[in-house]
Amino acid sequence: MKIFLARPAVRIAIAAAFMVLFVVAPLVSTPFLNYQFSMIAVFAVALLGLNVVMGYAGQVSLGQSAFLGLGAYIAAYGVSHDWPISVVFVLSCVIPAAVGMLVALAAARLRGLALAMVTISLPIIGVPLAKRFPEFTGGSQGTTVSWLNAPGWSGLADDQWRYYVVFVIAAVLFVLGRNLVRGRIGRAFAIVKSNEAVALSMGISPYRYKVLAFTIASLFGGAAGFLYVAIVQYTSPETLSFATSINLVAAMVIGGSASILGTILGAAYYIVVPVLAGQVDSTRTALISGALLLAVLFLLPHGLVSLPRRIVQLVNGIRRRGRSTVIDPPGDNTARGTAVEPESQEQTQ
Amino acid sequence: MKNSLFSKRLTGTVAVLGTAALLVTGCTRADVGGSTSTATASPGITDTSLSLGISSPLSGPTAGPGSCSVAGLDSYLEAKNATGGFEFGDGKTRKVTLTHLDDAYDPAKALSNFKQLVNDGIFAYVGALGTPTNAAIMPVANQEKVPQVLLVTGATAFSSDQKANPWTMGLLPTYYDEGHTFGALLAGAGKPLTVAVLAQNDDYGTDYVKGLTDAIAGSPVKIVDKATYEPTDTTLDGQVTQLAASKADVLMSAVSVTPLQVGVLTKAQSLGWLPRIFLPSNTATPATILKPGNAGAYPAVYSTSLSKVPASPAFANDADVKAYNAAFAAYGSKIASVYTPHCAWSYAEGAILEQAFKGMKAPTRASFMEALKSIKGFHAPMLLSTAVVDTTKSDQPAISGLALVAYNGTGYAPVSKY
Repeated sequence: MKIFLARPAVRIAIAAAFMVLFVVAPLVSTPFLNYQFSMIAVFAVALLGLNVVMGYAGQVSLGQSAFLGLGAYIAAYGVSHDWPISVVFVLSCVIPAAVGMLVALAAARLRGLALAMVTISLPIIGVPLAKRFPEFTGGSQGTTVSWLNAPGWSGLADDQWRYYVVFVIAAVLFVLGRNLVRGRIGRAFAIVKSNEAVALSMGISPYRYKVLAFTIASLFGGAAGFLYVAIVQYTSPETLSFATSINLVAAMVIGGSASILGTILGAAYYIVVPVLAGQVDSTRTALISGALLLAVLFLLPHGLVSLPRRIVQLVNGIRRRGRSTVIDPPGDNTARGTAVEPESQEQTQ
Repeated sequence: MKNSLFSKRLTGTVAVLGTAALLVTGCTRADVGGSTSTATASPGITDTSLSLGISSPLSGPTAGPGSCSVAGLDSYLEAKNATGGFEFGDGKTRKVTLTHLDDAYDPAKALSNFKQLVNDGIFAYVGALGTPTNAAIMPVANQEKVPQVLLVTGATAFSSDQKANPWTMGLLPTYYDEGHTFGALLAGAGKPLTVAVLAQNDDYGTDYVKGLTDAIAGSPVKIVDKATYEPTDTTLDGQVTQLAASKADVLMSAVSVTPLQVGVLTKAQSLGWLPRIFLPSNTATPATILKPGNAGAYPAVYSTSLSKVPASPAFANDADVKAYNAAFAAYGSKIASVYTPHCAWSYAEGAILEQAFKGMKAPTRASFMEALKSIKGFHAPMLLSTAVVDTTKSDQPAISGLALVAYNGTGYAPVSKY
């Protein structure tokens, strides 16, 4: 099975099938579903940033929502002042990245709980700041924008057009993110994560790479903010609230830490579960979401991304019990889902 | 090897994109339900039924008021359905159902819920609680011409320009109105008074202060000191000490956080400063604010009120309250467990909707909006006699007429003079 999946032709075929699915889906689904698909793409980008800093580089960040909100405010401000969209996009990425780098230059000297405290402060400071400057942010009532309407030649509805814009940007960012964590920098992150002393002895500065990880995370956060405004067409202090950060961390862990596919699954979880919980009983959404979260963490401690592996494990276990004399082959039971073994991650994607 | 793999992938991508382009040009979505001609019925309405939708925070810190904004309305609708249904202006009788979803006070989730409800075919979106959540929905509702009405929020944005946003309307008097009502009381005293103001450092607080300032303009009443706070502050002792130094006759404490408001009441008396105090309607509950804050020590504590309090002995024999309590016990208590005034407000909202249904000549959203915007001089159940429903003004929310009340040691009683 694994060898079959590892063949380039098969992988291209699977990727192509998914591409076709992603391209065709918005044409045949309702505006509501397109909104959900688009929001998954938006939060996948935010989660990708969080995964770079937490999953791959192993640093605690509880402030991702601050960068999401900052990017969203910059996008909303730029759009309402008729700046060119490309400029707005670049600023939405660069300014949060610069802010993230500034914070990280100071914060990356810390580790563990102290670092977590510094990152918590970002959304906690950000919310009152956003309310304090209504001329830029619209205050508590937020900023509404109207843009990214489908051009006439496309023959698309607005929701379809926005989906494609967001999807293309998210796909490009994911390719960049994937290359980053698979390459030299990703390997450096993995060493910094596992042992800083070893990293130093190999000539890798943990401090520099931590700052880099935070900067990249804030850049992705800012980009996600831009995409958020593209879909929701609105932003307010609620976007950068601390609760959003915590939910993002939970979604990242649920999807699968240090995994690209896990990031997408985490985003899907983040968007879909509240909708499903609302279908079951809208007065008990928090309870249902909490129960699901616990269930996933108990059954799939390595996140949703480990589901296929877990199923294989269970099936093998049942088979083994049937033929108890056969010694089980090693390999499947080792802990996976960490960046130290990028190759094992490949196989799930 | 690597290059050939890359080129293969590239070819694959190009092929997919090419196919996609063909598909895009070939099959775009047909226009779904976009037309709102008066001849055909709008979505969500049949000859026997009408479906409404609401998204409010049913979990998280605002879950209490959010749940009440659903529970009160649902109580009214279900109680009326149980007696046969609502009579409509076109001569038909319909049962009205309410679908409620949870947005946890998140604007993106609220918009998602709105789209879901519209997708499921609701006729109108009514009574949702929350300023940012409704602000996110407003442009979409107006673009798609879905009524987004009788919103439970004190922000001015939803009612102030109904010509620009003809499908949106608020339910409640605004924060500005509260500040203005209190300012009018002070100005009416006809003597020089000094006022100290404590307000939240954002546009809510600004609305209160602006209402007060506008009302006392030209009168001998003067604001002598101002302080602000952040909702995240843990104590307001510093602000209260600063204001106490002004020895003002009156303190307007526009604090929206319950424990902080209690702290203001206890701190001022511990400093020996006993001004007359004004509390905003959302932090003026006797049991949770006044008793813990020992409000009896002050010469007077004012607030504004809009609705009857179902648990209050003063209204125990009131017909509205009896009907409300019965309906709430039967239906609303499944949704909200704790009473907040939002339960009474959204119950009254049900009666306003009933008035609109009576005026609806055709089963369309346009006809509904027309009927809704022509209600005048209506006294809705559970509202105090001072409160009047007037939807004909295009820059005002549906309900106006806040009553000033003063604390009498156990509850509130109406007051007209300083």
